[in-house]
Amino acid sequence: MAVVRLEHITKRFAGAAAPAVDDVSLIVEDGEFMVLLGPSGCGKSTTLRMIAGLEPISAGELWIDDRPMNRVPAKDRDIAMVFQSYALYPHMNVQDNLAFGLKRRGVPREEVQRRVQAAARMLGLADLLERKPHALSGGQRQRVALGRAIVRDPKVFLFDEPLSNLDAALRVRTRGELIQQHQRLGATMIYVTHDQVEAMTMGSRICVMNRGRVVQVGRPLEVYREPADTFVAAFIGSPPANLIAAEVAVADGAVAVRVAGRELVLPRHRSADLDRLGGRRVLVGIRPEDLKVTSPAAGANGAGLAARLVAVEPLGAETILVLAPDGLHEEILARVGPEVALRPGERVTLEPNLAAVHLFDPASTRALPRSGPQA
Amino acid sequence: MPARALLRTLLLVVLAGYTAFAAGPFVWVAMMSLRTTTEITADPYALPWPMHWGKYADAWFGSNYQTYFWNSTVVTVSAVALLSLLGAMAAYCLARYRFPGNRLIFFVIFSTIILPPQITIIGVFELLVEYGLYNTHLGLILVYVALQMPLTVYILESFFARMPQDLFDAARMDGYSDFEIFWRIALPIGLPAVATTVILNLIYIWNEFLFAVVLLTDDAKRTLPLGIQRFMGDHLDDNGMLATGLMIAVIPIILAYVFFSEKMIQGMTAGAIK
Repeated sequence: MAVVRLEHITKRFAGAAAPAVDDVSLIVEDGEFMVLLGPSGCGKSTTLRMIAGLEPISAGELWIDDRPMNRVPAKDRDIAMVFQSYALYPHMNVQDNLAFGLKRRGVPREEVQRRVQAAARMLGLADLLERKPHALSGGQRQRVALGRAIVRDPKVFLFDEPLSNLDAALRVRTRGELIQQHQRLGATMIYVTHDQVEAMTMGSRICVMNRGRVVQVGRPLEVYREPADTFVAAFIGSPPANLIAAEVAVADGAVAVRVAGRELVLPRHRSADLDRLGGRRVLVGIRPEDLKVTSPAAGANGAGLAARLVAVEPLGAETILVLAPDGLHEEILARVGPEVALRPGERVTLEPNLAAVHLFDPASTRALPRSGPQA
Repeated sequence: MPARALLRTLLLVVLAGYTAFAAGPFVWVAMMSLRTTTEITADPYALPWPMHWGKYADAWFGSNYQTYFWNSTVVTVSAVALLSLLGAMAAYCLARYRFPGNRLIFFVIFSTIILPPQITIIGVFELLVEYGLYNTHLGLILVYVALQMPLTVYILESFFARMPQDLFDAARMDGYSDFEIFWRIALPIGLPAVATTVILNLIYIWNEFLFAVVLLTDDAKRTLPLGIQRFMGDHLDDNGMLATGLMIAVIPIILAYVFFSEKMIQGMTAGAIK
């Protein structure tokens, strides 16, 4: 049982104008894999370091299993951490790196040996125990760092961007290994990353942070499908969601968004709460995969936007189209299948899946309330 | 001859010239150490033939060299050990801890490096007399520690400052105290830099003459550089024995350099390549 509770946690660094972490509240349930996701400088690593006890908390309360932790030193929190640089002791071999924390805690020699051997077998390090870190590959070092945390058998595991130093292929493999380890150990894990793919694939839940604050907490698909604001819509998803300035128009009980002079009528179940917003300016968020690109003739039924194809970016499994809709200043992106016969410069029609669009308040950037089933 | 080969030859000539210039005096002294003063006076640059190896035994046993050698060893090893330990602790503290006045203290320590040591000699003399340390090895050791501390702290501070913070955080999470982290993590990792300071301090202190001649008066307490001076008379120098004495003095430094040089080069080039 290890529930981590953050209550209004704030961190102010001396001389900084704004707090690095600002009033963050979050509950990480027992056995949960919580991912703190956000861009560089958003406060996610500082939050993790405060949980670890490596950084003093300026305000707020940190609890682990209903025990206040603010004044408990790092070594007494029963937490293990895997660092971005792995932080392996370069003058010790793998065996000593794994055993270093246990020796300090007075664990009997035989027990240290048993745990080190067990972790080494679990992580495929049994043949590398005599090697020094400089003689290991990036993936092996990462596994040693994980092993050092595992042998401690802590209540909570913390990960600070542990995959960011690995190459792309190894990152995918190690990601899978980490997920397996979480399932095997069933421990509470808090994982910091700026990589949304890691967050989406690994997290039981994602906590999106921006400018020191929590923007949204939810299951990965929930965060992807129901972004709380324009930041989440643009940050999660690759390519990011398109954000287009529009105006809400209400006529005959139907709600439409007026984009570049064209009215796109929203399905009734998506517009139930929006009819009071008639005439209000909004930002329409459309994911690239929710845009259908057709020839001008096929889109002549009036449900689409005329656009010029600017660029075609084939990625193998899919193709990204860069489009310039008539009457709009910004370019928008669409994701289509691998085979595309279109060429840059051609005229096309864009048909958004109106059941999947998101509306945001341009002033607050927050999502406007919506109801009804998801597309 | 292609331009590349010509350039290579030119480079070799320059390097050979420089090597002869740098190593020549040493080789000459080494040759003289095996010749008598009479032979040297007759032909200063002749080859050492026959070789008088017995001169080494004469210098060692007949000229009190074993005492000077032992005194130099005690003073140098003690001073270098103190410098390495205290210097590493001070450097670690200045590199890894944020506290008011950190940079000021570092600046004050380091700024003393610009003062020529001769300036302090009268003050040091008075101080040692005052505290009963004049004409003692302990007094000389403390003076050497004070003299070499700025350079030691400067070299080690920059090394400790470059160590990644994650290492220290990891050790803290493993449950180690600040001193244990210094002793079990920072110091072993910093060994190349410590080796650099050891060799630099060793060479300086082993060869130091000025403070030794001012602060030691008993013949039984003298260090090697003062012992070598004994072969220099007011009217006639015993050049043969002088060379033998110099060679005896230089051998430990060469051995120490061979022992520490690999670590020292690691320390000097640390961070230069990933």
